[in-house]
This record gives sequence, structure tokens and C-alpha cells, in this order.
Amino acid sequence: MENLIALAVLFAVALLLCGAILAITQILGPKNPVPERLGTYECGVKPEGNPRIPFKSSFYLIAVLFLLFDVEAAFFLPWALVYRDSISAGPELLWALLVYLGLMAVGLFYILRKKILKLN
Amino acid sequence: MEAFDYILSISKVVLILVGVIQVVPIMIYVERKVAALIQDRPGPNRVGPLGLFQPIADAVKFLFKEDPIPLNTNRFLYTLAPFLSLLPACLVIAALPIADKAILFGREIYIQITDLDVSLIYILAIGSLGVYGILFGGWASNNKYSLIGSLRSASQMVSYELPLGLAVVGTVMVYGTFSLREMVLQQEGTFLGFLPNWGIFYQPLGFLVFLVASFAETNRLPFDLPETEAELVAGFHTEYGSMKFATFFMAEYMNLATMAGLMTVMYFGGWHLPWVKDSQLLEWLGSQNLLCIVQIITYIVKVAFFLFLYVLIRWTLPRFRFDQLMELSWGSLIPLGLINILLSAVIMYFTGGKV
Repeated sequence: MENLIALAVLFAVALLLCGAILAITQILGPKNPVPERLGTYECGVKPEGNPRIPFKSSFYLIAVLFLLFDVEAAFFLPWALVYRDSISAGPELLWALLVYLGLMAVGLFYILRKKILKLN
Repeated sequence: MEAFDYILSISKVVLILVGVIQVVPIMIYVERKVAALIQDRPGPNRVGPLGLFQPIADAVKFLFKEDPIPLNTNRFLYTLAPFLSLLPACLVIAALPIADKAILFGREIYIQITDLDVSLIYILAIGSLGVYGILFGGWASNNKYSLIGSLRSASQMVSYELPLGLAVVGTVMVYGTFSLREMVLQQEGTFLGFLPNWGIFYQPLGFLVFLVASFAETNRLPFDLPETEAELVAGFHTEYGSMKFATFFMAEYMNLATMAGLMTVMYFGGWHLPWVKDSQLLEWLGSQNLLCIVQIITYIVKVAFFLFLYVLIRWTLPRFRFDQLMELSWGSLIPLGLINILLSAVIMYFTGGKV
């Protein structure tokens, strides 16, 4: 409980700090909005077309793969926590790791072979 | 909890937060000076002696600049983005143990904002929220360069979060805890009789993976693909000006300090001096508070070493290409992280709990 209160205090202070930093320039800075300043800056060339251009689907694939692998990696954490103390009780957790790592390695090998990450 | 605890909590938060923010001006100065040294030019030398007041001048200039919001942006997300990148950077420092404890007003005070028992997961979880700031900033700017920069940045940050997480697993295995404080307490004394009892000697491969991944997580060169000023103008913060622009940099430097702190804590013994035990040191110094000051200085020196390493590498190595970056993460670092877990597990099994 005390830990959470300390976190809440930090959150409040950080929120205040970030808000203050961003608000203070709005107050201190001059205001002279000319059209050139409010336009999109693309190296001084007039922007053409819709800025929300279509992008390669590889980015989407990377996001999906990240989701999969991150969930898999998260399962390592509780295992790692108890591993050291379980060694004296026998090799069960080591076998569990080997099976799990094997499955993960097959998945990784597959996406590397498919060359999903080759972006060009 | 009494009123005293609240006051203590608030003063600890303010002191440590202000202390960590001091990293930003110092790093700006050091970075510019080291860059100048490497490129054989004087660097900042006009404001104050040796240009020491340059960061202050920079901050004042940022504060007094006009802060326009371009017309065709998504105003809400555009304003939210710098906020979202600075806030996680401020929050992660809560879990870093800076020193053991001081005795003030007859109480033991831990020099750490809060000793969560899942502090490692807390840092990884909150730290990865920073990607939202970059993604929102790039998308809301309504600028092609910003969009490409933020997309690259998002895929880079998620790709390097995996090696970071996998490297951490090895450390958790060795120390059997998620609490960073516990980890530091276990790194006291000597290892094999002649080495300091630090995590790097138990997890050399894990440290290497963590170091490389931490460069990419903080968007530093050689992995600063989100910015790549040669091809994308300035990447996701092209449309930002004034303090909003500076906020992104504050967040970057604070994340850098957190990463350096995390490496110090997990792999370099945190507040411990090499070889010397705390109880021995306490005997020599004779006071817990004096010991605490020595510990804080030790911690700061170690963090400063890593920050300096970041600066040196930034000005030494050229930038990667984007597909090389992805290859490095998925093709090398993630397999290395898995191998590290496997090796640690097997070695720990045959040595009976100790690597």
C-alpha cells in the first residue's frame, strides 16, 4: 500500500511537471501565427497529396509478430523467478524450458526463413 | 500512514526527480563537448566559462520561443504526444535503487522512491509506453516524413523490446527476484575470489544483448532511425517547435539515464564499491549516513560511465540501414537472448543454483 502511495505521488508530481513545462511556453512565447509557419513543413516544397500515405504491410506484420513473441517472452518471467530454488527438487523445470524454447525457436526460425523482415 | 510518511514520500519523489532531470542539461553539455572534441572543433565556449552555461541558455531560448500548432494537424494528439513521451520517462525512475538506506529522525529511509517487488517488470512496462508518444506525434503531425519516422520508430522499439525482455530473464534467473533492491543486495563481495560479485560476470551474454537493445530502445545512434536527419528531415518531431521539441529530448536523455541506471543495478553491482563489503565500509566510515553518501556517489559514477559510453558510441559509429536494424534484432539479438537463457539454465542446473 505504501508503495502504491509513493507511486501515486510520483505520478502526480510528474504530471504537474510535464503540464507546467508545456504550459509555460504557451504563456512566455510570442504569438505571431503567419500562414507559412502554420503550414506543413516538407523541406519547403509544397506538400502534395494526402500525407497519410499507404505504407508497407511489413510494419503491420512486425507489430503482430511482436505481440506473439512478447507474450511468449512474458511467460519466461514467472519461470525464471522460481527456477533457482527448484533446481534441488529435480530437472522438471529444465525440461519444461527446453520444450518451450524449442517451440519458440521453431517459430523464430520460420519467420526468419519467410524473410518477413526484408523490407525492401 | 502518518503525516510524516507523506512528507517523506513527497520529498523523496521531488528530490530524486529533480536529480534525474539534472542529467538532461549535463548530458547536453557533455554531448556537445565530446562531439566537438571528436570532430576537432571547440564546441560551445561562449556562454559562461568553457561554455558551461550553454544548457541554461538553450532552455531559456526554448521557453521563450513561439509554440505554433500547425493548422492541419490533429490538435489533440499533437499536444498529447510530447506529454506522453516525457511522462513515462519520469515515472520509470521510481523503481531504481540509488543507495541502501540513510537514518534520519531516527528512522531508516531507503534511497529509492518505492521498493516494488516487481520493479523490473514495472520499468519494462512503463518504459515501453514511450512508444505511444512517438507514434502519436508522427501520425498527428500530418507530414509524410513524420509518419514514416514514427512508423519506423514504432517497429524499432517493439522489435528491441523483445531482446531487452529476454536479457532480463537471465538476470532474474540468477538472482531469483524481480526486486532491483534485492538484486543489488545480492551483488556484494567477491566472485571466485578475485572478481567483484557483479551481475556481468554471471550474465556476460545477457549484458551484451541488453546493452545493444538499450541503444535501440532509447533511439540513440547507431540506431536513431526515427530521426535520420539525412533522409527524413527530423523524423517524428519535424513539426514540433519550442518546448514541445525540447520535451522529446528531455525524455530521450531521461530514458538514457534510466537504462544506464538499470545496467548499473543489474550488471554492475548498483551502489556497491567493487570487492568491498558494506559492513566493512560501515566499520571504516563509522556512520550509516556517511556510508549512504558514498553509495550514492558510487552509483552516480557508474551511471555517468554508461552515459559517457552512450555519447562516445553516438559520435563514433555510423547509422544502420532500416532492414539491417530489423535483421539485427530478429536474426541476432533475439536468438542470442534465447541462447543466453538456455545456457544459464543448463549451467545453473549443473552448479546447483549458482551460475
